[in-house]
Amino acid sequence: MRRVPYAIALGFCAAFVLLPLLAMLLDSVRSPSGFSLAAYGTILQDATLRGQFLASLELGLVATLLAWLFGFGHAYLTFRTDLPGARWLGPLGILPLVVPPILVAMGFADFADVKGFWSCALLLGLSYAPFVAVLSARGLRSIDGRLYEAGLIARGRGPAERLLARMILPEMLAGCLFAFIFVISEHGVPEFLTVKGKTWHTYAEGVFSLWTRRATGVLHEDLVSPTVASLPLVLLIVLALAIALRLRARSSVRGDQQPLPIRTLGRWRWPALLLPLFYLSGGVGVPVVVMARWAAGSTVVNQPMSIDQVRESFRLAWTEAGGDLRSTLWIGMATTLILLFVALPLARRAARRSGFVELVSVVPLAVPAILLGIGLVHVYNHPLAARAYAHLGDFYDSFGIVACAYAARFLPFGVLPLASAARRLPEHLEEAAALTGRGAAARTFRIYLPLMLPAIWSSACLIFILALRELDLAVVLPAGNGTVVRRLSNVVHFGGENMGGALALCLLLAALLLPILTLLLTGRKLRPLS
Amino acid sequence: MRCAAAAALTLPLILAAGCGRDADVTLYVALDQTHSESLIEQFEEQSGLEVNARFDTEAAKTVGLVSAIIEESSRPRCDVFWNNELAQTVRLAQKGLLEAYDSPSAAGIPAAFKDEDALWTGFAARARILIVNTERIPESADYPKSMWDLLDPKWKGQCAVARPLTGTTLTHFTALRYVLGEAEFKRFIDGLFENEVVLLQSNGATMREVAAGKLAFAFTDTDDYHVALLKGHPVAAVFPDQEEGAPGTMLIPNSVSIIKGAPHPEAARKLVDWVLSEQTEAALAAARSAQIPVRSTVKGPEHESILQIGQFRAMEWDPKVTAENLEKMAAEFAERF
Repeated sequence: MRRVPYAIALGFCAAFVLLPLLAMLLDSVRSPSGFSLAAYGTILQDATLRGQFLASLELGLVATLLAWLFGFGHAYLTFRTDLPGARWLGPLGILPLVVPPILVAMGFADFADVKGFWSCALLLGLSYAPFVAVLSARGLRSIDGRLYEAGLIARGRGPAERLLARMILPEMLAGCLFAFIFVISEHGVPEFLTVKGKTWHTYAEGVFSLWTRRATGVLHEDLVSPTVASLPLVLLIVLALAIALRLRARSSVRGDQQPLPIRTLGRWRWPALLLPLFYLSGGVGVPVVVMARWAAGSTVVNQPMSIDQVRESFRLAWTEAGGDLRSTLWIGMATTLILLFVALPLARRAARRSGFVELVSVVPLAVPAILLGIGLVHVYNHPLAARAYAHLGDFYDSFGIVACAYAARFLPFGVLPLASAARRLPEHLEEAAALTGRGAAARTFRIYLPLMLPAIWSSACLIFILALRELDLAVVLPAGNGTVVRRLSNVVHFGGENMGGALALCLLLAALLLPILTLLLTGRKLRPLS
Repeated sequence: MRCAAAAALTLPLILAAGCGRDADVTLYVALDQTHSESLIEQFEEQSGLEVNARFDTEAAKTVGLVSAIIEESSRPRCDVFWNNELAQTVRLAQKGLLEAYDSPSAAGIPAAFKDEDALWTGFAARARILIVNTERIPESADYPKSMWDLLDPKWKGQCAVARPLTGTTLTHFTALRYVLGEAEFKRFIDGLFENEVVLLQSNGATMREVAAGKLAFAFTDTDDYHVALLKGHPVAAVFPDQEEGAPGTMLIPNSVSIIKGAPHPEAARKLVDWVLSEQTEAALAAARSAQIPVRSTVKGPEHESILQIGQFRAMEWDPKVTAENLEKMAAEFAERF
């Protein structure tokens, strides 16, 4: 019985990850004259792309360093020290993940001259620091305070702190690697900020611009250039993810432990508050304030901002984009449900038997979203698929394919945390349940799932947030047309900042929907990160 | 067991619930959604046909709709492609993806804006103009007059163009290459770098930098310029290169075409007739995008600074040559910009 959900999950991965990527890969080696690797030779020798690849690595390293500073700094100060307000500030560390990086960039650009490499690194560092914050906090939580105390008594504070650093290193590095992956895959923010002359461009920008060759080109090399050019990036990301997974596997949270003792900051107690405040105000505060100002009419010259304008902006947003907002919420919820259905059996298998499942699950994250999207178009707009649609309805032109595509894209954000949670479950509970003679389904629903519920809910919140802010897949898939983030990117470009500000705030509120519901329905207090 | 069955059923139910239904006609429209959405609603009301409209994003440019048409060519989903420029449409025609249709609504449109095989028809154009910040350059006599003013040391580091990798700037620069000739065009491009002309990611960005007073002037499109005007920014428009011997101002029309193998050909023709009607062109002129009608019989944009056809000299450019060389030039520009 356990095999059925696992088989369904594998079928989903085959249909929405393997098939589309295989279609694109075959496309890249199938020239009109037969099998050919000529496109690989041409693209991989391109000096411009090589330069962009190095620029991406530089940006990735600097932004990750900043993400570590903000993310680890936030986690350490709020979890480990007597920082004022640590209990409240700690859980807020994940909040910058709610704001799409392009909104952070737009927010900063509205009042400061943010351009070029360093600004880009800073903003991306802020945007992706939550990965470091969450995993560092998890690392700190996984350490038995008694070990630290023993080190402190035996060797003094310095060696005890070094021991602590060694113990949280795997989780912290894993967080940094996740941040690195997102930074080097990002093309919107570098393009938005690379404005002063020909200074530098990232590899993701280069690959993105190659997609236009698919439209304008005639030669096989041109048509497949984006697929081929994506390959080095995919390999780099898979390598980083494999390392991240190995690192994460080395740490685990056990039930029989004591928390780390709180460290006193002394006279640095209040000054240390600056770091979390800068992190949260940069990652969330600035974009939210700027969007609110836009909604109030700040971009219209010679017209004071007003509450009436705010009302008008929200009215306009609801009238023109209310349908998009509903579609976006529907897609977000469907993505979350589908992904949980797929990720739970995969995570269960990954926890008990094989880390290989985890490694495979991260592939969709390594592949550029546009590549996955065009692969899906190839497969699901195929004339063979059309025969099925005649009986079942047009899946290709439906929200269903968007939700499935998003679920495939965010697969690791379901599988990895759930596998990690599943590893922490004591095996003897399920074994005891099995001895009672009840079937696998009953054991799953009565024992396994209730124990996994907190992890399932955390994953659901994360997936929901990511689904609301996904743009690249929304651009490629027809039904992605009706999403808020796609409309937002247009509205702002064409001078509709009033409505754009209101729409962005609606999107942020929608992203907080699940976490807020948790608080309202369960009455639980804010919990520390992780 | 019941729970398991319910869980197993939920996934297909979610997928089935998302399955779409067939509209009367599918339109891919690259003109900004804000501008085109209300017009499409008008068509639905007038014709009684339901339109499944798919819009592009400014950031995606050709990656969106043109790529979608190409990717879907084995089984076309789009009936009508309404592009906000011309070169990519001509490229689709050259790839054999468009169906000929000589719309009766296009009778009044000059031949220069129509394909000789009726694969596409141009209408409602944007001009490639210089947007000037009137606080930085108060006297109109001091305004730049030509694209060559970007190379004037007086404006070093104070003017901008969008990177010519996509959109209207790619079309503009590719057309310029064949209008000016290779040597002159190379001189122009080299001069942009020597004079530290600021390279931005889009025409919207060049407009914003000039509107905010960060730059003195820049190349942009008339629709972006009109947005700056509506927001009250101190800007003026210059239709460049009007003097004798200069190439003139480039005009880039919208274009509409029917996709070969369109699933709803009859409705597609009705939609094209409506898109090419004088009424639609007038509505586009009156909208925020302030498109310039290609027919002199249609009323143009309200604001006098956006000139009408006949009030300025338009650049003569060959859409076919431009489209044929778009890929080659895009690759060259990608190396330099």
